[in-house]
Amino acid sequence: MDIGLFTQTALTAVTLGLMYALIAIGLTLIFGVMRIVQYAHGELYMLGAYALYYATTQLGIPYWFSVILSAAALFVVGAVLQVVLFRPLIGKNMLYSLAVSMGLIFIISSGGLLMFGTVVRGIPSPFDGGITMLGALLTYERLTISLISGALIIGLWQFLAHTKMGMSLRAVSEDAEVASLQGVNTKRTHWIAFGLGSALAAIAGCLMGTLLSIVPTMGFGATMKAFMIVIMGGLGSIPGALIGAMILGVIDSFGTTLLNADIAYIIGFSVIFITLVIRPTGLFGQRWDG
Amino acid sequence: MNEGKLANRGSYFYAMVAAVLVLLAGPVVFGFDNYFLHICITIAFNVMLAVSMWLIWTLGLVSFAHAGFMGIGAYTAALLFLNFGWPLWFTLIAAGIVSGIFALVLAVPLMRTTAVYFFMASWAVGEVIKRIFAHFRNTFGGWDGLFNIRPPVLHLGEYTLNFSSRLNYYYLALAGCLLVVFFVNRIHSCRIGKTYWSIYDNETLAQHVGINTRGNKIAAFAIACAIAGMTGALYAHYHTYINPKSFDIWQSEFVLIYMIVGGLNTIVGPIAGAIVLTVLDELLRPTEYYRVIIFGVIVILSVLLFPGGLEALASRVRKAFGRRRHETPKEGEAK
Repeated sequence: MDIGLFTQTALTAVTLGLMYALIAIGLTLIFGVMRIVQYAHGELYMLGAYALYYATTQLGIPYWFSVILSAAALFVVGAVLQVVLFRPLIGKNMLYSLAVSMGLIFIISSGGLLMFGTVVRGIPSPFDGGITMLGALLTYERLTISLISGALIIGLWQFLAHTKMGMSLRAVSEDAEVASLQGVNTKRTHWIAFGLGSALAAIAGCLMGTLLSIVPTMGFGATMKAFMIVIMGGLGSIPGALIGAMILGVIDSFGTTLLNADIAYIIGFSVIFITLVIRPTGLFGQRWDG
Repeated sequence: MNEGKLANRGSYFYAMVAAVLVLLAGPVVFGFDNYFLHICITIAFNVMLAVSMWLIWTLGLVSFAHAGFMGIGAYTAALLFLNFGWPLWFTLIAAGIVSGIFALVLAVPLMRTTAVYFFMASWAVGEVIKRIFAHFRNTFGGWDGLFNIRPPVLHLGEYTLNFSSRLNYYYLALAGCLLVVFFVNRIHSCRIGKTYWSIYDNETLAQHVGINTRGNKIAAFAIACAIAGMTGALYAHYHTYINPKSFDIWQSEFVLIYMIVGGLNTIVGPIAGAIVLTVLDELLRPTEYYRVIIFGVIVILSVLLFPGGLEALASRVRKAFGRRRHETPKEGEAK
């Protein structure tokens, strides 16, 4: 493996890792605050990408404004889903939320196939060109995407650490009953967390959609990655999700380049299995008795 | 959890006998066509999977690797048949043993995890099994799968039974299905079953009473996976063709949905769920593109509107009509 290929693969690993982190952090937020299994997270990521596609190509709205629109739209979708479908399931066995979100996957992904068609589409990127370093090409597109993901993750971290809303989210994920005794409106934190998580997934969908291409069935793959990361890092832990995403990014990028995609999957899942056997609650996880 | 069952065991027994007789005589009396028999065989497989998954559930665990172990069974049967010409009778047993052993070995580290971490770890197991079948092209045929796994022919003196006829395979699948249901029901209603529910209710307490929770979990997991493996062998010889896609995560998830929609407290739940949803899926076939969407809507509605599942339906109806005399003690809803 020469140095150029190595740097290129490493750069891909970082970009992929940051993108995965964005999806996974949304999921871990929902997990941590509500203790429900949101299995249809990837479908919201798909919807986010399609919202961007239609906003830019059909309505002619500028790219960055469309990303914001898509995130806002998916925030609303997430909040509504929480209030209508998931609120009655809080505190029940996780199997129920699992079943409901599986139903959602069926509805959204085949509804997507009907509405958007089976054609693979691409979103025109607002960038071209790039810089060459150590024999690897880093396009401005990837650079911007990585920077945006990084900024969003840091922003979310600051939001959770310092704002009143962020603190109440953390309080609810620590212990919902005690939090509501302290005057935190748990119902509101629930839908806000769900909306925020969905909006993050939508942004990830937008960025990934520009980089790759979009199809209505891409949701489940994203759900799978997000779950792998969240479980590896530990439920409800944002640093865990970040580290898990980086590990998976490295495995996927190097595994696919050096061997093939099936082997990359096998290695990825084996790493998760071994992580869970050594640390049964993930790298930074909280105990979760469902 | 299921005191209500003991109250009128007699009528349950007669209902069971009647149901079995209908299932045995049905195809001959009503003259089922091949399509209908195919649905019945599919239902039998789904019931076997759902019931064995339910056995793991009685310990409070949900496995996403079930289809993977079904795949191990199916591939064992297929390879033994294709390479050595073993008939189904031997591959069935071999499939059960091989997937049981794999499950036993994997369960030892798996049981360190609990709740949601367990089902993610089991997901990893299932996914790795599927990808291994897909990757090793020479042994397992890759994504294309294995072909030509013929159903067996039984020679009984001058009389031969050829199981490539749908009707004969229906009876074979039915026999397998009834045996599995009977076996799991026996486990469930004897002392071991009570031990399992005690682990479900409170694992720490169960440990304090002197129950080997870890050993019980591993044993139950291995038994359930062995059943899944045998279902896989039956599946392989029925479809004569298998590929890794037949055993992916969605297969496990459908089994989970059967269980949740059917109900989690008694063995009637998974059976009812598997039957109703398989039939429903077939009934929705004419709606073409909307089929999956409608299926999804029905799953969501049934979870939100009938939290106890189909098994609680009878007592709900009874309550609605105010016949309180025969009311069974209220089934505890799964926590």
